[in-house]
Amino acid sequence: MNSRRTTAAVILAVTVAGAVLPPLLGAADLPTAQHHLAHSALIAGAVFAGVLFALPSRDTQVGHYGWLLTATLAPIAAMLLMWPSKYTWFEVHPAGHVVEHLGLVGLGFLSGYAGQRYAAGIGWASGLSLFAMAFASAWGFGVAPPGAIAASVSPHATKAGSAVAGPPDPVRGKTLFAQNCAACHGSNGGGGQGPSLLHERERKSFTLAQQWIIDPAPPMPKLYPASLSRTDVRDVAAYVEQL
Amino acid sequence: MSTAIDDAGDRRGKRVMWTYIVCGLSIFTLMLLVGILLRGSQAAWFALDAGVFYSLLSLHGVGMLTALTISGLGTLWYLVNRETPLNEGVAYVAFSLFVGGVAAVIVSVVVGHYGALWTMLYPLPFVGTYWPSWATGAWLIGTLLVMVGFTIWCAQILGALVVRFGGLNGMLGIDYVLRNRAFVQSGKEPPAPEMFAAAITAIDGFIAATAGLLVGIALLVHWLDPTVALDPLWAKNLTYMFGHTFANLTMYMAVAGIYVGLPLCTKRSYHTSVQLTVAWWATLTFVIIAYFHHLYMDFAQAQSVQYIGEIASYLAAIPVVVVTVYGGVLLVHRSGMRWTLGSMFLFAGMIGWVVGGFAAVLDATIPVNVDLHNTLWVPGHFHTYLLEGVVLFTLGWVFVNLEARSGGQTSALVRWLVGVGMFGGGALFLLSFYLAGAAGVPRRYAVEPAPGPFFANIATIGALVLLAGFILAASEALRLARLKPAHVPL
Repeated sequence: MNSRRTTAAVILAVTVAGAVLPPLLGAADLPTAQHHLAHSALIAGAVFAGVLFALPSRDTQVGHYGWLLTATLAPIAAMLLMWPSKYTWFEVHPAGHVVEHLGLVGLGFLSGYAGQRYAAGIGWASGLSLFAMAFASAWGFGVAPPGAIAASVSPHATKAGSAVAGPPDPVRGKTLFAQNCAACHGSNGGGGQGPSLLHERERKSFTLAQQWIIDPAPPMPKLYPASLSRTDVRDVAAYVEQL
Repeated sequence: MSTAIDDAGDRRGKRVMWTYIVCGLSIFTLMLLVGILLRGSQAAWFALDAGVFYSLLSLHGVGMLTALTISGLGTLWYLVNRETPLNEGVAYVAFSLFVGGVAAVIVSVVVGHYGALWTMLYPLPFVGTYWPSWATGAWLIGTLLVMVGFTIWCAQILGALVVRFGGLNGMLGIDYVLRNRAFVQSGKEPPAPEMFAAAITAIDGFIAATAGLLVGIALLVHWLDPTVALDPLWAKNLTYMFGHTFANLTMYMAVAGIYVGLPLCTKRSYHTSVQLTVAWWATLTFVIIAYFHHLYMDFAQAQSVQYIGEIASYLAAIPVVVVTVYGGVLLVHRSGMRWTLGSMFLFAGMIGWVVGGFAAVLDATIPVNVDLHNTLWVPGHFHTYLLEGVVLFTLGWVFVNLEARSGGQTSALVRWLVGVGMFGGGALFLLSFYLAGAAGVPRRYAVEPAPGPFFANIATIGALVLLAGFILAASEALRLARLKPAHVPL
């Protein structure tokens, strides 16, 4: 093994360690934007290793077209793995989180390696493309701007946000949370059987949080309107936004 | 021009090129009819429901751009293949993705009545009240397929050029400009002009497609999972970074027609010069950030970025237009060029490029933009450089090929009629946009209540005359294509 490949192996090992250890040590509970940035760092390492591992081509012809298609499609698959609302789920399922990270590392490595096998330099282009997408995601993919702009996202969300008059009461919401939500989400919202709700305000606006409680996706139980009134929903969402 | 491939390779290349061009021009024809429907309804010749209008406007926008891009990509693919052999399977994979994308978009509009326009600005595709959610999904999947196809095309050309010219240095003529004397003395030659068009399309296209894929995937994820919110300004930046660059690159693809087609008409060569190379560098650098001029009115955007957008808009367009057109005019000057349909279209395309480019530069100027950007001036400028620039370059390239292949000639009467239709009708059609824009008629409106349907009437008449010219040109192209090959090499 030459020195270039040794360097690639070392970088890949460090990247894999960076992918595996934080979820297992419980240190991967990050807001969405920081989560994206952490992923982009993993991808940078993987791409770099992939490009280095594919020895420089001095060919006068390009490589097999299969490498080209792989290098082009790997970043798209990686971006689908960076589905922000799944982060919460991954944070409470460390094994799943590790698998997700290894997927990102694998696809990052593949984009660099396959691109370079097609033609010298294309690995950098394809890897940089994936890194840029992951990095840029921190400013908008699953990250709504302050002020709950997402209220305009769906007519349903707007209805949910405007149904109750008066200011929300997060103190009352905390009590309701302890009675109805803590069993799954943990007494402080840090997660348990259900996902962590820490930093939820960075993933969902106040309006969207209410909409979610009103009309949740399984396995979360639908507590409105049987157990929680519309005012209760508003107050619980206000409390969750403070976590 | 040097040819690096054998006859069989050239035939394969031509097959790819004609597949792309025929498909592109077919979609173009369909979209031309859709466009006439839109203007006719604004002129109150018949009534279109507003929802149908916006659906058709969405289809017209994305369909036209995809059509002209497909044609341009086919031409460039063929020209690069002459320089360094390319795998045609990859070209057909990309082509299939384009076709699949267009089909999904058509289904989204025709069956689902999607109507959030081709720019699909977040959150518009998700708040429509008259189209179902699946129509938004079909639209997003369709545009993503086009983006993936475009990315594959760009990566293939990029790889081929890097290998052919020994890296970015050779491909972009960096040594040729910065160490010119040593470069020339060593007996090396810079890339041919059309290779710059291919390189800039591939590089900027790849960068733009990265932005497009990111926002496309984010929108798709939001469609599947509405709890994933997006930042609208972030999405708008990415959307325009892709969309504006994609639209601009159609011109830079078609410009290859001047570099290769015009020399065939004039029996002269279009050489690469230092000025031409530097002009293409300016386009390479600035076309990707020129889109900021679409966000002048987004006051949350940093002010410095707005000024960068203005300067980038000038530098992306002006140098390459000036150098290329100057070279093109010199090529024609006293060349004794015969005015065939091919040469006529290529020369007229340069005029359309200059006029459309000038109108674009005006719109990119901040004090003017404030008054003109939301008016019909903007469709005026992009219709000029697409219809009287890109389309004419494409038709010019088609006719130069057909005339060379068949040795056939077009009668003076047909040339005159085509000219009146394509240029006269086109001028009438475009003038109505500019005059309406100057009068403050808003764009993207189904109706034009003030000052009334006057401008739309002129536009519709102009478009119908243009359509007649186009049909005549298409019939003439078919006639030339059926003639027995005269074996005149390109």
